[in-house]
Amino acid sequence: MGHRRRAAAVNNPSSQRVSGAPAEAVRVPSRKHNICMVSDFFYPNMGGVESHIYQLSQCLIEKGHKVVIATHAYGRRKGIRYLTNGLKVYYLPLQVMYNQSTATTCFHSLPLLRCVFVRERITVVHAHSSFSAMAHDALFHAKTIGLNTIFTDHSLFGFADVSSVLTNKLLTVSLCDTNHIVCVSYTSKENTVLRAALNPEIVSVIPNAVDPTDFTPDPSQRQDNRITIVVISRLVYRKGIDLLGGIIPELCLKHPDLHFLIGGEGPKRIVLEEVREKYQLHDRVRLLGALEHKDVCGVLVQGHIFLNTSLTEAFCMAIVEGASCGLQVVSTRVGGIPEVLPEDLITLCEPTVRSLCAGLETIIARHRSGSVPSPASIHACVQNLYTWRNVAERTEKVYDRVAGEEVLPLHRRLQRLRSHCGPVAGSIFAFVAVLNYLFLLLLQWLVPDRFMDKAVDATGPLGLWKQEQSSKHRALSKSATKKAAEPKISR
Amino acid sequence: MGPDSAPDPAVPWRKVLWERQPFPDNYVDQRFLEELRRNEGIRQYRYWSVVKEAGFVGQQLSCVAIFITLWLYMEQGRLSPETLLWTSLVCALLGYGLYQALTSQVEPGCGPRTRLADLQSATIFLSFTFGFSPVLKTLTESVSTDTVYAMSAMMLLAHLVSFPYAQPSPPGSLSLNAALFASVCLASRLPGALHTFAMLSCALLVFALWPCLLQRLRENAPCQFAGVCLGVCIVGVGGLGFQSPGGAVLLALALMSVTLLCPLLLVRLQRHKDNIQGPWDEAEIHEDLSRFLH
Amino acid sequence: MVLKVFFPQCCNRADSGLLVGRWIDGHDAAVVLTVIHYPFIPGQVKLYVQQMQAQSRVELSVLGSWSLPKEGQEGMESFLRDLSTIFPQERWLQISREIGKTGFHCQVLQRDQNGRAVQQEPKKKKKKEEEEDGEAEEEEEEEEDDEEKVIFVHYEQRKVMLSQLHPIQNGVPDPQADPPSELRQVFQTVAHSDPLFFMDKYDDGPLKSTHWQTEGREASIIVELLKHASVPVCLLVSWLLSVWTWICGMRIFSLYPLRFLSTKLSTCVQLSYRTEHMRTLSSPKAAAGHTEFMRKANILVSFLVDVALGMLLIWWLYRENHISMLANTLVPAADHVAKELDELLQWLMGAPAGLKMNRALDQVLGRFFLYHIHLWISYIHLMSPFIEGILWYGGLSACFGLTFALSLLSDMVALLTFHIYCFYVYGARLYCLKIYGLSSLWRLFRGKKWNVLRQRVDSCSYDLDQLFIGTLLFTILLFLLPTTALYYLVFTLLRLVVVLFQGVLHLSVDFINSFPLFAVCLRICRPYRLAEGVKFRVLSEEPGTALHLLMEINPLKGNTVVQTYRTPTYSCYPKDSWAALVKKLFVGELIYPWRHKTTKTD
Repeated sequence: MGHRRRAAAVNNPSSQRVSGAPAEAVRVPSRKHNICMVSDFFYPNMGGVESHIYQLSQCLIEKGHKVVIATHAYGRRKGIRYLTNGLKVYYLPLQVMYNQSTATTCFHSLPLLRCVFVRERITVVHAHSSFSAMAHDALFHAKTIGLNTIFTDHSLFGFADVSSVLTNKLLTVSLCDTNHIVCVSYTSKENTVLRAALNPEIVSVIPNAVDPTDFTPDPSQRQDNRITIVVISRLVYRKGIDLLGGIIPELCLKHPDLHFLIGGEGPKRIVLEEVREKYQLHDRVRLLGALEHKDVCGVLVQGHIFLNTSLTEAFCMAIVEGASCGLQVVSTRVGGIPEVLPEDLITLCEPTVRSLCAGLETIIARHRSGSVPSPASIHACVQNLYTWRNVAERTEKVYDRVAGEEVLPLHRRLQRLRSHCGPVAGSIFAFVAVLNYLFLLLLQWLVPDRFMDKAVDATGPLGLWKQEQSSKHRALSKSATKKAAEPKISR
Repeated sequence: MGPDSAPDPAVPWRKVLWERQPFPDNYVDQRFLEELRRNEGIRQYRYWSVVKEAGFVGQQLSCVAIFITLWLYMEQGRLSPETLLWTSLVCALLGYGLYQALTSQVEPGCGPRTRLADLQSATIFLSFTFGFSPVLKTLTESVSTDTVYAMSAMMLLAHLVSFPYAQPSPPGSLSLNAALFASVCLASRLPGALHTFAMLSCALLVFALWPCLLQRLRENAPCQFAGVCLGVCIVGVGGLGFQSPGGAVLLALALMSVTLLCPLLLVRLQRHKDNIQGPWDEAEIHEDLSRFLH
Repeated sequence: MVLKVFFPQCCNRADSGLLVGRWIDGHDAAVVLTVIHYPFIPGQVKLYVQQMQAQSRVELSVLGSWSLPKEGQEGMESFLRDLSTIFPQERWLQISREIGKTGFHCQVLQRDQNGRAVQQEPKKKKKKEEEEDGEAEEEEEEEEDDEEKVIFVHYEQRKVMLSQLHPIQNGVPDPQADPPSELRQVFQTVAHSDPLFFMDKYDDGPLKSTHWQTEGREASIIVELLKHASVPVCLLVSWLLSVWTWICGMRIFSLYPLRFLSTKLSTCVQLSYRTEHMRTLSSPKAAAGHTEFMRKANILVSFLVDVALGMLLIWWLYRENHISMLANTLVPAADHVAKELDELLQWLMGAPAGLKMNRALDQVLGRFFLYHIHLWISYIHLMSPFIEGILWYGGLSACFGLTFALSLLSDMVALLTFHIYCFYVYGARLYCLKIYGLSSLWRLFRGKKWNVLRQRVDSCSYDLDQLFIGTLLFTILLFLLPTTALYYLVFTLLRLVVVLFQGVLHLSVDFINSFPLFAVCLRICRPYRLAEGVKFRVLSEEPGTALHLLMEINPLKGNTVVQTYRTPTYSCYPKDSWAALVKKLFVGELIYPWRHKTTKTD
């Protein structure tokens, strides 16, 4: 094992020969990587993971790394597409099973992923989201091929029921020889360390970010004769929509000038509709349905208070967006939420109707007395807390650290699997790893790496895209980070 | 850059993300996992209380056995339908009286159901059963006996599995329906229409009304409840013993394991429980939110 | 840029003269339509072109000059150039050809600001000319880099004029929409400028020209006569139609049972189609566009074929007393079917195929159906003396066309198999009831119920008596289901056989009604009339000369012809899919050979 990585290093003129000590790698900050982001979730799907991958990739491209993204085909969107700044996306023909996650057999994606890794001379594989089967497959295959891997976990998981026992075991296996794990909050780190039985030293905490320029306050949009509470989330159980269904009548009966603005769609919409019907609140509770990312800011600025009723959350982007638009934030104290905003910007409540109502009422009272800080001052506090450039810098450090590490050869990988994952699961997956390795050998015999066409770099040190527009590079890259989640498609 | 780069001891680490702290991203503090809690809110079981609860399961098992025994007697002609009907009537009246007595202990005055409603229900039961019993008798004529037995066994098993042991009144739909289906299958094998009628009335008594009475008993007279359970078990084993001693032994073994052995196992295994809780857990909604809707 | 010149093949050997045609805007292409020979008076030419433009509504203009020097005609070069000042144009083509050479020589004169013609580039000719003034040309080629190249596209004027390019664009072109493609414009230009081609070369007019000409006028005289003759016929037919419509419009026909029957009897349906067709044919207005013309022609041809086939049938039926033979076989056949059904029922009332049925229900159902068969047989015997007469008069309907005879046959089959239909309906209703009852009782069995408002299954706590009665009924229905299902299955199979037969009849009627016979004949005999595009063949291609292409017309594909021109009938309505049919059969909904035009969507 490991030969693939060395070959890649030779092929890539920019990456220096890895000659041993990790310290050397650390000392060379200018080192550029060929990164492949793998996840089932990417544009045209929309969500936190998707925009994270997109924004992080854009900032890494700006820093001169080469980034390609591998995801599964979405309907007629298949093959290779280029997004802004030459971000290359492989939409691979893999079968979607459930909830946009692909089916996995541990083997069938190897030929395609190997093809991507070899063609693009990938040095680091970065997988995202524990719900994505493709990400786990990529981690597994990358180790077989001999590449260093990083995994970013975006979600929290419990330990109580049978399904979480099983998924946690799979995560243990999947992350067993992953070089480094990134979590989005300290709570998420604790959770991941426990779930996958990891050494906490190889888990970094790098929070998500929000583009503050997309979320700027606009007090003129507010209606001053009323108080508007904005809720923007998917309408599902995990987001605590049942709590919201209790809060709405409770507060609306007390405060006749209170209005609710609810954006999002989901199975729990019916709860809200029933509440609205029963209490005749059609003029005061507006359900906006699913929102495009670009419309979110327009809704946020109409409100005075942002309410988040989530029951679990690794890192809540919504509250940062709300605060960035100058809203008072009220949220439940669950998951990583207490870590996200300083106490003066957020009111934390227990996940009960009573506590949330109390929290909201104090804010409403403060509003009436006029003792709340102005939206502009809140925005000023928030705007520099989380930026994508910062995220990219910190992720870059992880890449530098990982690139110097050694990839375990097969026999040590098997040993590690068996010692780390328990005798039963460890043995099973050691067997799978051996099969995977044999499959790789077969593929390498059928189509040797040296016969594979190397792709032309669009990004990275030799990126043609950048060279074309090198004069405008500065300006462009600045605007690239602005285009939050509306990737421009150029074929 | 590594985790080993020495942190500045002057600044304490805080578990916040909004502040840039002078620690590497993979820094592990002393306070790592300090919010981890284990086995919070675990109930400690006591052996005898568990046995008492399990007695209810054993009792239900015996009820099924009693019903099968009665059916066997009927099929062999050793029990005439008239006898069974009269006995059932007496039992039903006795049970109804007891039920009313137990109810009036708690809430004197009007219960949720009036006598008239009870009478109406009883009339519906009896008239429908009586009217349909000739049809029911011919129903499974052409189906082979083995099929009928297999179906009945499956349905009785389904009854036992899906029986709402925690709250047997009102009876769970699936369990009651399965039991009634099985009794219709079995009753249709009997020689005459009156047999069928008697058997179905008996089934109604055993599977629908008896659990209601027992639930009342469990609520209001816990001491007698245990005795009644024990009594039912003994009656079940004894009754089956006259028909088939082997079956009685099997039933006794099953009852023993359900009421004595399983609780023992539960209490023993309780020690090995290891549940992890922390801030990452999904918050549970304990309030009753349906009051906002209904 | 490349200048494309569409040049008619018939003008290849025309005498020298002026090229008349049209510049196609925005495409850098010119269509040459005709050549006006020397000598001419320029004023007359202008007048003629204006006249033609008014008639054909095509922007005709003089494109340039054409020279094919014959022996002894020399030195026309300067004359031709001077012509460009007489007919002011943005660009002036000077095409010349020499005897014995295949290629053309083309010069494009560009008009500059002052109105003077400037020779832009003389270029592109064929092989042998290079020997003569090759040197001069080569020099010029070096000077001008992005010179204009010329491609000659030769087309056959007659075919292009007559052909219709598909897909058809109807009506006035929308100014907002994209302008039609270059090829379409070429086709339209040639097709619309047919007034230009009326000038005969034998006419003694002030102008002589070369273009495509019809071979003879005799055929067109016959066509004209036919057109005149068709007017009174059309009038007669439309008068008859109005009488017929008046009869149909009488109030008695709109009463409920009659109207319902008339929508279900295929003869009536066929009658209404034919009425519709005749109305289309007899309308006094000439067909407005190609589509309408084709539609009329298709209807006419299929009507004629239909009547011819019907006559053939009549000829066969009334020869040698075939009618009475048919009538004599029909009654015993119906008898035989009834007897077979009787036996089938007897078999079902036993233990059919070893299945275990509920004996009591089995007997009840069997007797019920047996009684129906006895009713039926007596009905048939009552009818038997009249059957021959019915057949004799019914056969006469074939003179309206084979489709009428077939529709009548289909209706008769439906009437004769009415007992099977009845059995089927009884069986299906009973089965349907059981299935619905079982499905809702199964929900009760599991403690669920169907919420009509939310369209989903909710859980529900039932009362004790509800549960008890529900389970009792569920058990009874479940054990009786196999018996009902078997009866349903058998009668459904019988019904399917009848439906299949009727379906075949309907399909053949529909085929005759809707098949675009005229269009298919046109496609076979005159493939160029229905064009789907063109292909180009290289005639001569040598370096230094203009490229010569031959434009050939791609005929429309056979299945596209059928799809485009088929007359819309009820087979064009959306059909039930096979899965939907199977589901209907499984649930016990009734199936019919006809389709409901207005399916309720709820």
